[in-house]
Amino acid sequence: MIKIGLQAEGTTESLGGTMAQGRLQRRILNPEAINGLKMISPTALYATLLLAVPLFLIFLYSFLTDGYLTIERIPTFGNYVETWTSPVFEKVLMRSLGVSMAVTAATVLAAFPMAYFVSFYVEPSKKSIWLFLITIPFWTSYLIRVFLWLVILGYNGVINSTLMGLGVITEPITAILYNANSVVITLAHAYAPFAILPIFVALEKIDRSLLEAGRDLGESPLMTFVRVTLPLALPGVVSAIMIVFIPTIGDYVTPSLLGGPEGKMVANLVQLQYLKLDNYPMGSATAVSSMAMVGIALIVGFAQSKLFRRVYGAFIGYSNAGLSILAALAAVLISFGACIVVGVVASGAFFAIVLAVAIGHIALLIWLKSQESKA
Amino acid sequence: MTLPAEQPTMIEFKDVHKYYGDYHALRGITATIRAGEFFSLLGPSGCGKTTLLRTIAGFEDISSGVVMIDAKDMAGVPANQRPTNMVFQSYAIFPHLTVAENVGFGLRKDPRTKEEKAKAVSEALEMVGLTGFGARAAHALSGGQRQRVALARALILKPKVLLLDEPLSALDKKMREQMQVELIKLQRQVGITFILVTHDQEEALVMSDRIAVMFDGEIAQLDDPETLYRKPANRRVANFIGTMNFLPAKIVSETSQSIQVEAAGFGSFTVAADQASGKKGDEETAVGFRPETLTILFDDQKASDREAMATVEEVVYYGDMTYYDIRLDGAPVAMRLSMRNVPGRPVLDIGARARVAWSTAALVLFR
Repeated sequence: MIKIGLQAEGTTESLGGTMAQGRLQRRILNPEAINGLKMISPTALYATLLLAVPLFLIFLYSFLTDGYLTIERIPTFGNYVETWTSPVFEKVLMRSLGVSMAVTAATVLAAFPMAYFVSFYVEPSKKSIWLFLITIPFWTSYLIRVFLWLVILGYNGVINSTLMGLGVITEPITAILYNANSVVITLAHAYAPFAILPIFVALEKIDRSLLEAGRDLGESPLMTFVRVTLPLALPGVVSAIMIVFIPTIGDYVTPSLLGGPEGKMVANLVQLQYLKLDNYPMGSATAVSSMAMVGIALIVGFAQSKLFRRVYGAFIGYSNAGLSILAALAAVLISFGACIVVGVVASGAFFAIVLAVAIGHIALLIWLKSQESKA
Repeated sequence: MTLPAEQPTMIEFKDVHKYYGDYHALRGITATIRAGEFFSLLGPSGCGKTTLLRTIAGFEDISSGVVMIDAKDMAGVPANQRPTNMVFQSYAIFPHLTVAENVGFGLRKDPRTKEEKAKAVSEALEMVGLTGFGARAAHALSGGQRQRVALARALILKPKVLLLDEPLSALDKKMREQMQVELIKLQRQVGITFILVTHDQEEALVMSDRIAVMFDGEIAQLDDPETLYRKPANRRVANFIGTMNFLPAKIVSETSQSIQVEAAGFGSFTVAADQASGKKGDEETAVGFRPETLTILFDDQKASDREAMATVEEVVYYGDMTYYDIRLDGAPVAMRLSMRNVPGRPVLDIGARARVAWSTAALVLFR
């Protein structure tokens, strides 16, 4: 009732100022909103003190100068210039991104059939047992699970001794431990439940009569899956991707125990700068930079998925995307090119490429949005 | 209403059985459905009517028997290769597609050009009264509109048989009555065989050329609506279709032409042999009659056939009609009769005495 009254007031007023005021009143000052704010205040306070304040401090540190054993309060961009032109940071960051993408791809691709099986082939009364079984790995500490992978993947580990016993290989495989591969394997296993659950929920929500309708309208089971099940499960797949990708990029434990010298990731670099080199400003600049990379990666991913949806829609035959997709791809490439030229002139090549990707994809998102509103 | 009986057969069931584990869902269905017919499967929930419909669509395998569509055995033919399309009870409109994309869903493999398909889609939308709705998101539609989209989506493929699984049950009463008429018109216009599943006897009577009444996985009676109403095969069918009064009776004598019956309240009378329903000895003998076949005589009206005195036990006033529960003098049970209300004629009170008239020709004898 309050909402309606305020809305009416807002629309009858012609001045922009009063409308903004009305919106403020509606959003924050109405009794319900105040009540809500009161209720979240303990959590909000906790989160502010323990999350926002430290984050802000790190942000602040990254713009200060490192002295010997002290931090000097001289503002500088030097830490960022060093970070973004450093070949070590470039290599480690690219490896982190690569590992996260590999983990995400492996986890989601493995999780989908699992979620599909539980949703479509398990009796409704047994579904909760299956979900319970999926969460069993959480019963043991993550550290123990990591060490178990050590036992499985090790030089004299389960895989190597089995394969040698069977005569498949004559020498132990060393490519599966103390490098990026072992990190990917371990993380993919650890994050599987996080990927299975959102996909399962999305699949559960699909009205089964939609699948019958797909069959009824002349599509084979496979094409019904492609045209009905998959598009409707996509929100679950997207959230699975986010849930796996975001935490794995900053994972510290797994690469430090299983990564070896060739498998270290960004979090290990940050730890090195903070605790071993005692260089807080550089460590902070590295941390902030890698956070920015996650943000950029998400923008890229989001833009790509929107584009993918259009391409997919055209492919399965119910959208008139066609030429407009080609135009979009051309626009992205041109913006990439422009950004790279600007970036190379201004700073290091790595920074340039990252900037190019980000700007190109923001442009793509804006363009897709305008196309949507036109339709 | 009724179709010429010489239409070719579209669907044929031969002794169809269906088991779910131990549960015997279809118990030997044998029936034929003619081409171009508006056919209804009517019955209470759990009687197997939806299962039978789904065996036509190909969503259920049958345990034994034969289902033929257009003279072809459908054994092993998957749903996507059958010449049938279905309007689902939930409508099953694809929420991720627009209205036009929903309607055009089945045209993917159609060899026509994109423009021709778009034209077919807009024609289908026009046919169901949704001109200009093509670009709308499917999830923004009302119940009635969803139903129309589901119809257009099925009919655009020009199926030999259109299957409707309780399509009107989710609509409100006004909308339902309007859609009933529209469906009948649509069926006449396209000439496709429609098979409707419903638990609403009124809906079945209004819409169908023929109705199969089902109980417990069996067809209890298959007839045109008038025969079904006038002469139900047994007491269960009679109770399911409209209201019927039953009065215990005794058969005094029987010839091949007529049957002499005695019933407390009705006295002794003769009915024609074809007024008897059911096989001999199936049920306790009773005479059945519809509420509208009894009439209360006012003032000096004369009965055309027979009359007797009765007491009014209950009065239910409906505006255009009044239902009375009356007990004929000497009858063991009260009976319901309906009278159309006429200006100037009083509605009787409980306890009033009334002269009640009936015709023995309108009775059905159950035995």
